[in-house]
Amino acid sequence: MATLELRRVRHRYEGRVVLDLPAFTVPDGGKLAIVGHNGSGKSTLLRLLALLERPSEGEVLFDGRVTASPDARPDARDRRRVTLVEQRPVLLQGSVRDNLAFGLRARGARAIAVDRAVEAVAERHSLAPLLSRGRRELSDGEIQRVAVARALVVRPDVLLLDEPTSSADRAAAQALFHGLQAELAERRMTVCLASHQLEDAYRWADDIRALAEGRLSPVTPENLFRVDVPAGPADVTKRVRVGPVEIVVMTDRSGPAILAVPPEDIFVSSAPLVSSARNVFAGRLTRISQQRGTVHVVADIGIELVAAVTPDAVRELGLAPGAPVVFAFKAAAVRVF
Amino acid sequence: MDFLAEGFRRALALLASGDAEVFGIALVSFKVATCATIAACLMGIPLGFMLATRRFWGRRVALTVVNTALAFPTVFVGLVIYGLLSRRGPLGGVGWLYTWQGIVVADTLLALPIAAALSAAAVQNVDPRVRRTALTLGASSWRANWTVAREARFALVAVVTAAFGQVVAEVGAAMIVGGNIRGETRTLTTAVALATAQGDFGFALALGFVLITVALLVNVVLQALQGHGHA
Repeated sequence: MATLELRRVRHRYEGRVVLDLPAFTVPDGGKLAIVGHNGSGKSTLLRLLALLERPSEGEVLFDGRVTASPDARPDARDRRRVTLVEQRPVLLQGSVRDNLAFGLRARGARAIAVDRAVEAVAERHSLAPLLSRGRRELSDGEIQRVAVARALVVRPDVLLLDEPTSSADRAAAQALFHGLQAELAERRMTVCLASHQLEDAYRWADDIRALAEGRLSPVTPENLFRVDVPAGPADVTKRVRVGPVEIVVMTDRSGPAILAVPPEDIFVSSAPLVSSARNVFAGRLTRISQQRGTVHVVADIGIELVAAVTPDAVRELGLAPGAPVVFAFKAAAVRVF
Repeated sequence: MDFLAEGFRRALALLASGDAEVFGIALVSFKVATCATIAACLMGIPLGFMLATRRFWGRRVALTVVNTALAFPTVFVGLVIYGLLSRRGPLGGVGWLYTWQGIVVADTLLALPIAAALSAAAVQNVDPRVRRTALTLGASSWRANWTVAREARFALVAVVTAAFGQVVAEVGAAMIVGGNIRGETRTLTTAVALATAQGDFGFALALGFVLITVALLVNVVLQALQGHGHA
C-alpha cells in the first residue's frame, strides 16, 4: 500500500502562497495526472509529494501516517518509497551507468545486484548503447529517458513525473508511456504525472485533476471527450458523435480516441456568424468564471463546452448565465488523439 | 640594483646547496599551513554547506559574520589568540604560546571564514536539482551532500587552495603567537620579515622562492586530486 495525502497544506515561497490544497490524495496504485499551466503549482505539489520539502502549513501523510509537517522533516524511509523525475532532470556526475546505479548504491545494494538491475532497466528502456556515456554526450530527450529509468530501477512504490514528455518527440513520448505500462504490468506502482499537455494526461491517467494558481480547479480540463471516430479516408473531414451533437473534425484516426476542443479556439457570438467554421452550435450560457487574464464561459449546447474569451468580449456581448449564445470553431481546431 | 642581483645570486646558491636552515624553515611553514588548512576546511566546508543548504533562524546573520571575518586583520586574530594562549589567558594551561601548534590555531581561525564563505558560494552555485535528485533516489543527507560536493569539486579545490594560500602567506599572527623562534616557530614569512629587517636580502629572497615553490606544489597536487572522468 502506498497512499500519499496532503492535508490542509498551504505552501509558501518567500511569503507568497504557491500551493493551497485543503485535501489532496494520490490513491494507492492509481494513475493520476495533474494538469495545469506553467506556474500553476504542479512542480511544487510534486516536490511535496516526493517528501523533498516540508509544507509551510499542513501535513503530508504516507499510508495514513504524518510523514512531513512544518515541524517534522520528511521521514527518510518514506522518501525512499517515492521517486520524482523532475521536469528538466539533471544527470549526476559520472556515466549513464553510474546514474542508473545511484539509487541502488544509496540503498546499499550489492555490486552484482546493482549491475544486474542496471542492465535490465537499460535493456527495457533502450539505453544499453548509452551506458558508458557522460551527461554531456546526451541529448535532452536521452537525459529524460535516463532519468525515468534511473527512477524506475529503484522500484519505487510511488513514481512522480513532472512533465515527462517535455523534451521528447512523439515517438519518444510513446516509448516512455509504453515503458511505464510494461513496468505497471509487472508490479503494483502508483504513478502521478504533472503535465501542461492534456494529451499526456488523457493518454495515460485514469484520474485527472487540474491545478490553477496553486488550487485545485473545478473547471478544467476543458472540452475533452472520449469518442469513437468512424473509419474513413484521411484527407476528408469526419463527423464524430459526442453525446447528442456531432462535431466535424479532421483526423486520420479511427476508433476510440480523445477529442479536445481548445477553449481558446472557440468563437463566441450572440448570433450565428457567416464564417468558415464547420462547427456552429447554439445554446445557453450556464457559467462564467474568471481565469488568469481570461474569462471562461460555459455553454450548454447539448454537451457542456468551455470557451475562453477576454473580459472585454464578455462586456460587449453582454454575456451572462442564461443568455443565448453561439459557439463556433473550425474542424481543424479540434484535436483528436 | 647591485644588491638585487647579489640577492638573487645568494638565493640561488642557498637553494642549490640545500641549506639546512632554509629547508628547516620551509618544513615548519609547510607543517603549520597543512595542519591549519586541514583544520579550517574540516570545520569551514561543512559550515559552508550548512549555510548554503539549510534554512534556519539567524542564517543571514551567520553569513554576514562569516563574510566580515574574511576581512579580519591577521594581527588582530594573532592578538586575540595570544591573549587566549598567554599564561594569564583562559587557555594558558595548554602551553601552546610560542609553539607551532599555537600558530596553527591562529591560522585556522584566519582560514576558517575563507573555507566557510567560499564553500557556501560553491555549493550555492550547484544546481539545486542535484541535491533533490540524490535525495529522491534514496540518498541520505550525507550522501546527498557528498553528491553536491562532487559536482562542486573544482570550486571546493579552489576553497582548499585559497585557505592554504591564506595560511602559508600569513605573517602577523604567526609572528605574535609563534614568536619567530629559530628552529621552532620560524616560518617562511616570519623569516623573510626578519631577514629583510636585518638587511639579508639574499636570504629573504631565497625563502621567498621556497614559499612560492611550496604554494605551486600544493596547487599542482590539489589540481591532480580534482580527478578526471565524466564531467
